[in-house]
Amino acid sequence: MSHAIDTNLIMARDNIELSEGAGRGLSSVLIGVGAVGIAATILAAFSGDEAMATIAAHAYHTGVMAVIGFSVAAMGFVMILQQTNAGWSATIRRQFENIMSLIWVGGLLFIVDIAFQLLMNSARHVYIWDWMNAAHTAGDELYRHKSGYLNVPFFAARAIAYFIIWFVLARSLWEYSTRQDIDGDKWHTARARTLSAPGLLLFAFTSAFAAFDWMMTLDYHWFSTMFGVYFFAGSMVSMLALGALILITLRAFGRLHGAFTDEHLHDLGKLIFAFTVFWAYISFSQYFLIWYANIPEETAWMLRRKIGSWEWLSWLLPIGHFIIPFILLLPRPMRRSRKAVALVSLWLIVMHLFDLYWAIRPEAKIEGQDTILGPSPIDVIAVVAPVLVFIGFLIRKVGSGPLIPLKDPRLPEGLAHKNYV
Amino acid sequence: MAYDHGSHAAPDDARPLWGLMAEFSDPASLSRAAKHVKKEGFRNWDVYSPFPVHGMDEAMGLKPSRVTFIMGFMCLTGFTCAWLMQWWMGGVDYKIVVAGKPLFAWEQATPILFELSVLFSAFGAVFGMLILNLLPRWNHPLFGKQRFLRVSDDRFVIAIEAADPKFNEPDLRRMFESLGGKHIDRVEEES
Repeated sequence: MSHAIDTNLIMARDNIELSEGAGRGLSSVLIGVGAVGIAATILAAFSGDEAMATIAAHAYHTGVMAVIGFSVAAMGFVMILQQTNAGWSATIRRQFENIMSLIWVGGLLFIVDIAFQLLMNSARHVYIWDWMNAAHTAGDELYRHKSGYLNVPFFAARAIAYFIIWFVLARSLWEYSTRQDIDGDKWHTARARTLSAPGLLLFAFTSAFAAFDWMMTLDYHWFSTMFGVYFFAGSMVSMLALGALILITLRAFGRLHGAFTDEHLHDLGKLIFAFTVFWAYISFSQYFLIWYANIPEETAWMLRRKIGSWEWLSWLLPIGHFIIPFILLLPRPMRRSRKAVALVSLWLIVMHLFDLYWAIRPEAKIEGQDTILGPSPIDVIAVVAPVLVFIGFLIRKVGSGPLIPLKDPRLPEGLAHKNYV
Repeated sequence: MAYDHGSHAAPDDARPLWGLMAEFSDPASLSRAAKHVKKEGFRNWDVYSPFPVHGMDEAMGLKPSRVTFIMGFMCLTGFTCAWLMQWWMGGVDYKIVVAGKPLFAWEQATPILFELSVLFSAFGAVFGMLILNLLPRWNHPLFGKQRFLRVSDDRFVIAIEAADPKFNEPDLRRMFESLGGKHIDRVEEES
């Protein structure tokens, strides 16, 4: 039955705060290594041949999308928790707020991404977004129909709008939560809930259209109405996995005893499992409809991923992003084991990076050639470097404040949380 | 109550003893008693309540349900059946090219693979649950007790079967009394 909860013990400082400057060293190393990696990517893009340039640009774009996905999905998750007035998650919500609050890192890396693009365009005439090249789109009937949406001014305005919306939402949710730490005003919770209703609507539209704009239009002839959900599903998986990793690491360092229990772990495991299945469901649906309808302008995108080494790499997705985590997370004891959830989470983050890589990188092409460029060693550096920078800032963020929302009115409910099935 | 289950049956004491039941007034005392019964090492016993009592699995020391294994087995069976069925029907027995698609391919087979896996799993869940619960059955010795019928309303009952190796009526009566059980009563087998 109910175990007595010693609130004093749980709320002790050495349980809900990291020591001063914890993880600073690791954080600096990660940011440093990431920055060097980004520099190396850009250098490789400008010193190598044209194939190298376009490969590096696409791979770096993949890493940036992963980083933006972390923060945006975390923001959606926090808003779902606030909107549903979730009590179980009260003790673990702060870690997702930490991920959410780093949307500025994604923004910064995105600016580098755009700057990289502009430099490449002027120096080497390499484009990620091929539709920006007027020489290519001239006389293209399909582009003419899409040009009302796909033009540089509107594209730029949308990108700015997405980031403003994300930044304002993330900032507000962060402020409500951290101000409550100090003044204990329960109305901050109510305000966060009120904001979350329109916030979730905005989140759904902005994340979907960002995926359309930044990933789908890499091949501007191609379209999939499922693409926004595809990006959302994958980002949710990786974000939940990242959150679980932070919480498990904090437990390993002797923090969050009684606050992040096997019960919370169990529920996080269920969510990771559920979103893995959801991802598989919508990814297969997207592929299946295109395969079955067999319309040339749709199949071209899938066909590119069935040529050369991409063919067997494509099989890594259903196996590694679905079947393996599905089997591993299916038994109840696995979802209640910190070690097992940590391993599956790490695996899923790698798989999500590969998923984005699979969606973006085969679009790299050389001007006037039909060859599809296969994987290259620079890919690993270019994809992982932005993620390392993000993780570096995240470690800093986690250590900079209390590990739980100190005065959330739902804290007792979160502490007493238990799974009965 | 007007309807008496025992009215046409043989007199109670003529029938062999099935077990002993005791009533408890609230879920907390029921859980406490269940914990004690578990500690005493009884095996053939159960608790009855009008609603699921949180933490009762743990108090009774119940192991996770084995129905998951039945479901897992049924899922794989459904998957295999769906695969063989589609391969045999479309790819071997009655070959018709539809919309230029392959006669058999994993892409077009997947929806059916999924559906049959889910359907068989659901069958496994429902029928497996019934079998593991020893259902269906027509009657139960406890239904012969007027007071037991209130367990679907506001009473909480623990019943220990006479088949339990540790069953000893006088000792059990004392144990139930010490746990706060009321209306401790003998339950006879169905006639």
